[in-house]
Amino acid sequence: MVKISRYILVVIAIVGFSIGIPKLYWMAFSKPIRVPFVMYSCIENDFMIQRSGEDGLMRQDTRGNNYTREEYEEKLPFLYVRQLLMSNTMPDSINGVEMDTHEISMNRSTFRVQPEDLDSQTQKLFPLFEAESGRANLEMPEDYFRISWRMEFVDAKSNKILEEKSQMFSAVLYNRGFEFPAKSINGIPTTRKSCDEGYLVVDSKDQLFHIKMIEGEPFVEKVKLPGGMKFKYISCVDFRNKNFYAYLFSTNNELYILTQDEYELIKFPVENIDPAKNQIRIYSDLFHYNIIVSGDDFVKVYALDTNYQNVNDYYETWPAREDRSEGKIIQALFPGQISMTDSDSNFIRFYTTFNSSLYWLVLSGLLIGVQFVIIKKRNLELKKNIIDFIIIGVSGIFGFLAVNIFPNKFFD
Amino acid sequence: MNAIECRNLTHYYGKKLVYENLNINVREGSILGLLGKNGAGKTTTINILNGFLQPRSGECLIYGENTQHLSPENKARIGFLIEGHIQYSFMNIHQIEKFYSGFYPKWNNEPYWELMSKLKVTPKQKISSMSCGQRSQVALGLILAQDPDLLILDDFSMGLDPGYRRLFIDYLREYAKSKNKTIFTTSHIIQDMERLIDDVLIMDYNRVLAQRNVNDFMREFKQFYFELENPEINLSNEDFVANFEKVHNKVELYTYETEDFVKNFLSKNSIVHFNFQKVEMGLEDAFIGLTGKY
Amino acid sequence: MWKSVIYKEWLKIRWVAIIFGGLGILAVGNIFLKVQHDLVFNEATNYWYFILFQGYQFFGYGLFKFIPVLGALAVAVAQYFPETVNKRIKLTFHLPLNENKVLLMMMLFGTICLLAIDVIMFLLFTSLSLLFFPSEIIIATLVSTAPWFLCGFVVYFLVALIVLEPVWKYRFMYIIVAGAFVPIYLESAETGGYAPALPLLILFTVVLSISLLFSGYRFRKGEM
Repeated sequence: MVKISRYILVVIAIVGFSIGIPKLYWMAFSKPIRVPFVMYSCIENDFMIQRSGEDGLMRQDTRGNNYTREEYEEKLPFLYVRQLLMSNTMPDSINGVEMDTHEISMNRSTFRVQPEDLDSQTQKLFPLFEAESGRANLEMPEDYFRISWRMEFVDAKSNKILEEKSQMFSAVLYNRGFEFPAKSINGIPTTRKSCDEGYLVVDSKDQLFHIKMIEGEPFVEKVKLPGGMKFKYISCVDFRNKNFYAYLFSTNNELYILTQDEYELIKFPVENIDPAKNQIRIYSDLFHYNIIVSGDDFVKVYALDTNYQNVNDYYETWPAREDRSEGKIIQALFPGQISMTDSDSNFIRFYTTFNSSLYWLVLSGLLIGVQFVIIKKRNLELKKNIIDFIIIGVSGIFGFLAVNIFPNKFFD
Repeated sequence: MNAIECRNLTHYYGKKLVYENLNINVREGSILGLLGKNGAGKTTTINILNGFLQPRSGECLIYGENTQHLSPENKARIGFLIEGHIQYSFMNIHQIEKFYSGFYPKWNNEPYWELMSKLKVTPKQKISSMSCGQRSQVALGLILAQDPDLLILDDFSMGLDPGYRRLFIDYLREYAKSKNKTIFTTSHIIQDMERLIDDVLIMDYNRVLAQRNVNDFMREFKQFYFELENPEINLSNEDFVANFEKVHNKVELYTYETEDFVKNFLSKNSIVHFNFQKVEMGLEDAFIGLTGKY
Repeated sequence: MWKSVIYKEWLKIRWVAIIFGGLGILAVGNIFLKVQHDLVFNEATNYWYFILFQGYQFFGYGLFKFIPVLGALAVAVAQYFPETVNKRIKLTFHLPLNENKVLLMMMLFGTICLLAIDVIMFLLFTSLSLLFFPSEIIIATLVSTAPWFLCGFVVYFLVALIVLEPVWKYRFMYIIVAGAFVPIYLESAETGGYAPALPLLILFTVVLSISLLFSGYRFRKGEM
């Protein structure tokens, strides 16, 4: 039992060290990775790339031409509308289309989703707004709903279930073929939006429903989906042109939009859109959609026209943290590391990464040698220390520290 | 039958040797006093006996069981007084009696309360707020109530005033002899031991100087005093000399040999001396004589 | 005999345990006094909104996060420190009981006391939550507070290990290990975010319970 307690302590120490020591290392030696910002220019019909380097910002196109700040901003008129208006450099028309500030802002939108938005607590309670209250501003309802074995409204003040409302909504959902409970409920749960379009709800059979409340009555619309279509993430949007309800990310890494009123599902001609792994940003303007997929070591940008046809794309990679010198050194020091948090998740987990290279084995071998000397010096039996050697071999410096902090001194 | 048997005990602290191949036997019903200067290994021995120290090699047996893993039944037969009369001082005398009584089948609280009645302490007074002497009596009272077969007393006289020390020794000897208890004890104050112990074990750095019946030891170990004509003469390397202390020409010679043997030796070797006399010794004198003053 | 062991442990920790229990109840009461106050000054629906969508953690009020840890620390020190003064643990080891069993008994008793206090706090917390919040909020809240309570036990077990260790140099190194390990229970996270880590955290907590056997053994074998 005492020996077991020692191994428990050794394991605890290894866990503690493989969290703490690499953290200190990165605190001391990590350097920022400068990610280029890439946007499609409707003027040049080419991608404009802005990078930050040692001597400040550099602005280029894909052919290597350099631009001054002013030139660069003029190439991206919809990104720098206010600046161009202020300096009177906004062209009167682009591609034959007259520049009207109202039109520009109507068609401008930005959207962003990143892995941590998906790897996060699933919200289960939402406020259902009155979509047509006749008031200029949306109002916060007094109750919240959940969709478990039925659609249930809970009054916040009394913390009690509103039986009548719950039955009314549940019945309508049931009649429209909704299979309880809901897998995911997606909407914009805030009063700070132009109008309310309710929620897009996936039921337990992966059917998609649009649910809102109009004058106190349930509005439920089942969306026709191609067979086998499942969604990884649905993000409702509130864009001024009201073209579509949401961006929908399917489980086979495709990107769709769901048009308003007709409930038409349109696929974007883009590949490998995985918001669980990469950050996805979508910028739209009068002429183009820019879909920017960025990972740790690459950026891929698709430019689409307003008919959702691909006009151009751009791909660039750079060395990831592991391939840079500070990343290579740590691979020689430690077999891996544990972190309780991860920038791609809102959950606390034991995020364990093992080094892909095996250089750390050299250090492990060295430490086994040192341990051998220590054991000889203390006149201890080698046979009884075999497990300690294995621990050092597998966990390197973490294990070496652990087995010496909790020394293997047992008597028969 | 031996209550305690230590065989070939060897221990080091780091590289420093404490002792090598030490053998100790304590007969059942006897009282053994372990004497030694500070650092001679008294505490080491007590710690090994109580299982708080693993010796480098060798073993100690108490009632036939290795002290490194004593069974609970065996531990119940051993009363242990820690140096400094350490006890659970966050308790008061009622709490501590209640605590210990749960462990020992032979628990007899009479001697404990007899001792406690003589203390001027309040019932709720914590042991930590008592004087040294009071604390010692609590610790002793608990051991007596435990009624063990073997008592291991580490420096029982510490902090006791002389009168009580005397009383306690007499009480302890009477108690041990009438109930056939075995005692293994150490003490700073060697005078005390003389009245208490049957056997003496005298340790010096790295070795045992004497291990025998205390009366035999006192009878056979002698001190002679004389003055030399030639102060240069040194007898400390002679075989029969246990210790030789000389201040100028005044000599204290310690030996197990007889007076005649010493006198013969002196005359045979033509060592001129005056004022030869045998000096009567107490145990403390004998201890110092054997171990040296330094 | 075991009753006597429990009696001694209780004498050592009773005041600390009672104060910890009292403070724990006060802290829970304080949280809900604040909730009640906030509900008077805010619409309930807005208050839920803050919790559900703005990441507001009503249970993170005051030092609540650290109460189980500090309580466990105090209990552990009260229980094990007196054993090391003048190496008094020798007395315990000399009792006619198996040495490891005595240590486990001491640990078990301390753990049960902490558990009892935690259960009282848990029941009070949950029943007061039920007055104000729906199950979604309560469950996420309990998931978020669970590691704080687990952390209390971890600290209790590690303090026992550290206090009983006979060699100062090693005590210091154990403290470093504790310093690296304990924070994994105290990360800040969104409400309910600790859920995936809980099984391993519970496992680590349970196995650490016997860690005091290690320093107890080192003491018995005369490490110094």
